[in-house]
Amino acid sequence: MTERTPPIPVIAGIKDPVLEGIASGWDVTDAVDMTDGTLLQADVVIIGTGAGGGTSAEILAASGLRVLMLEEGPLKTTNDFDMQEISAYRDLYQENAGRMSKDGAISILQGRCVGGTTVINWTSSFRTPEQTLNYWREHFGVKSASPAEMAPWFETMEQRLNITDWVIPPNENNAVLSRGSEKLGYHWKVIPRNVAGCWNTGYCGTGCPTNAKQSMLVTTIPAALNQNSGLIYNARAERLIFDGSKVIGVEVTALNGDYQPSGTNFTVTAPRFVMACGGINGPALLKRSKAPDPHKRVGKRTFLHPVAFSFAEFEQYVDPFYGAPQSIYSDHFQWLNISGPAGYKLEATPLHPGLAGVLFLGHGKSHFDNMNRLTNTNLLLALIRDGFDDHSQGADIDIASDGSPIVDYPVNKYIWEAFQRAMITMAEVQFAAGAQKVRPAHLDAPWYDSIDEARTGIMNLEFRSNAFAVGSAHVMGGLAMGEDKSQCVVDSNGKYHYLDNLYVFDGSVFPTSIGANPQLSVYGFACKLANQLAVNISQGIA
Amino acid sequence: MLTTSRRDFIRLGTAGTAALGLSTGVASLSGCTRQPMRVAGFQVLSQNDLDFLSALAPAILSESAYPGPLGEGARERLLRGLDQVMVTLQHYSRRQMQLAFTLMGYPVTRLFADAPLKSWAEATDVDAEQFLSGWKDSALPIKRMGYAGLCKLFAMVWYAQPENFALSGYPGPPKKIPYPVNRTRPAHTD
Repeated sequence: MTERTPPIPVIAGIKDPVLEGIASGWDVTDAVDMTDGTLLQADVVIIGTGAGGGTSAEILAASGLRVLMLEEGPLKTTNDFDMQEISAYRDLYQENAGRMSKDGAISILQGRCVGGTTVINWTSSFRTPEQTLNYWREHFGVKSASPAEMAPWFETMEQRLNITDWVIPPNENNAVLSRGSEKLGYHWKVIPRNVAGCWNTGYCGTGCPTNAKQSMLVTTIPAALNQNSGLIYNARAERLIFDGSKVIGVEVTALNGDYQPSGTNFTVTAPRFVMACGGINGPALLKRSKAPDPHKRVGKRTFLHPVAFSFAEFEQYVDPFYGAPQSIYSDHFQWLNISGPAGYKLEATPLHPGLAGVLFLGHGKSHFDNMNRLTNTNLLLALIRDGFDDHSQGADIDIASDGSPIVDYPVNKYIWEAFQRAMITMAEVQFAAGAQKVRPAHLDAPWYDSIDEARTGIMNLEFRSNAFAVGSAHVMGGLAMGEDKSQCVVDSNGKYHYLDNLYVFDGSVFPTSIGANPQLSVYGFACKLANQLAVNISQGIA
Repeated sequence: MLTTSRRDFIRLGTAGTAALGLSTGVASLSGCTRQPMRVAGFQVLSQNDLDFLSALAPAILSESAYPGPLGEGARERLLRGLDQVMVTLQHYSRRQMQLAFTLMGYPVTRLFADAPLKSWAEATDVDAEQFLSGWKDSALPIKRMGYAGLCKLFAMVWYAQPENFALSGYPGPPKKIPYPVNRTRPAHTD
């Protein structure tokens, strides 16, 4: 066998804009370097620096406010991004990429670093579907967020982050989806991506090595830091301090190089606070803080887009580790109905060896043989649109003895029914695209040699927890937005219903899942809400 | 010092992140205090943990050996990789895993967990395979969770080692040459 090499063997000559910014005098601090017991002050404190926090920081800083960003994760920058799974999972992901639901059934890939999940996501950028926006208005009383009202905010962020349809032909892992769908007459389209000058290497998930991905790390956060704002990283918001109906401070725990409390704690005070810490950590922060919550809705309905997977083996190389990770999608089965059986979106899954090892499931010789064929393996995924039916209530977020979040998401028969339908659809697409054999990610499933065999086999797979892979890369909800206080904890302006100066500008406000990769939804809503807050502050009403 | 209470053991049954499970029935039998034997070079894993994990490793990763070119160093590499993952977990997750491993160190809890009665240091690959198969298809969700957690953790750590890329045919990532930071010129002039 001749030795193969990456299509792009060397990446060099790429500047590190964050290190250069720091060298030029940005106000950026490692929390462990703070003096224990320090009290800091800012005009606005933003907790979390992902899609919501980064977007909000740029807008509020541009309005002349002194913004202080707090980030639980470390600061890792372009020069650190070595495209290795080990360092990426350790430094850029929650729980070393091993965040799971309470019963272990769902593996959750979520960012934890300056820039949050935007540093490690696969760049797919969709506007919130109009069906979803309409559903929120009808069922949760969300105001001023119709498709027409949201369009300018999405457009603003599309321009800001260079979101356009991907023009380079898809890699083979994605081409399986377009080729198979085309043959079957299923809808498919090219995915819009937030990249500028992308090298098409395939390492979005380990931190973009070329600064092409327009993550918060290289766009809005630098913009805010250039506007007299500050950033403290390795800084976990432990609890909010209340005085009557106001938040007056946030207690922060510094984390060391192993992401454990270093022993240093400090407090930040400000006239207003923006939470942007996601649909798991955000509810946990409010629960640790014992925030007012008369209807007990904090940490209810956190949605994950549970993901079903289907492997296919091809005669030719697929090399699922190289090339833009996601460039083709199909919504053919997404909106057949709104409630009722769950719809799903089809996309490809990039596979590097560690992640492949996890998703193949099982152990021993069969697992080893599967790993051995990785170069010829395609992996499709189906994002299940959760939260649009009474049988889909998502997760409850509880807190453990140390205050860390527990994600209690029962994978029930409603989800499993959608998984079986989606597994059959993916097998159809893969066989139509020329797959030799197909295997859904279920411990009991063999490799099927034909679509007929796959259909029968999948319908007979047993529904039991931890027997099939359930992934998630999308954390949404948990602090629902809307005017119906029996269901929602923040209003349509993102203000917490029961506190005068606490705002939530991130994906945790979504009352259901999005039904598409959520980053542009987070950007669009954060852009709208942060601009509204900036106006209110300038008018002295916030 | 890592001291556990009965309540902690019971909570094991509802473990969160990356935790391995045992039934609360097993857990409640053990009122023991964890007595970690520190091992040089390891931050989290004790000698008992290392015995348990290395007894399972060949059975999980292939059938009877560590696949790949690491040879003599394979066991050490895997165990250090597992230790490195555990050291970064949040306190709660890490402690859940430590508790599960600790329970595997006692004959009485091994009995209730359908694990070999003999110590893990003496267990054969056949013992390990029987244990894994039993957990894989167990009627108890907590055992299935333990099986899935172990397999995912081992696979992630093992196949992400650059020396093992050849096992999957992955040619590896491009070589990254970091760009020196200019510390005299402001990055933004506008």
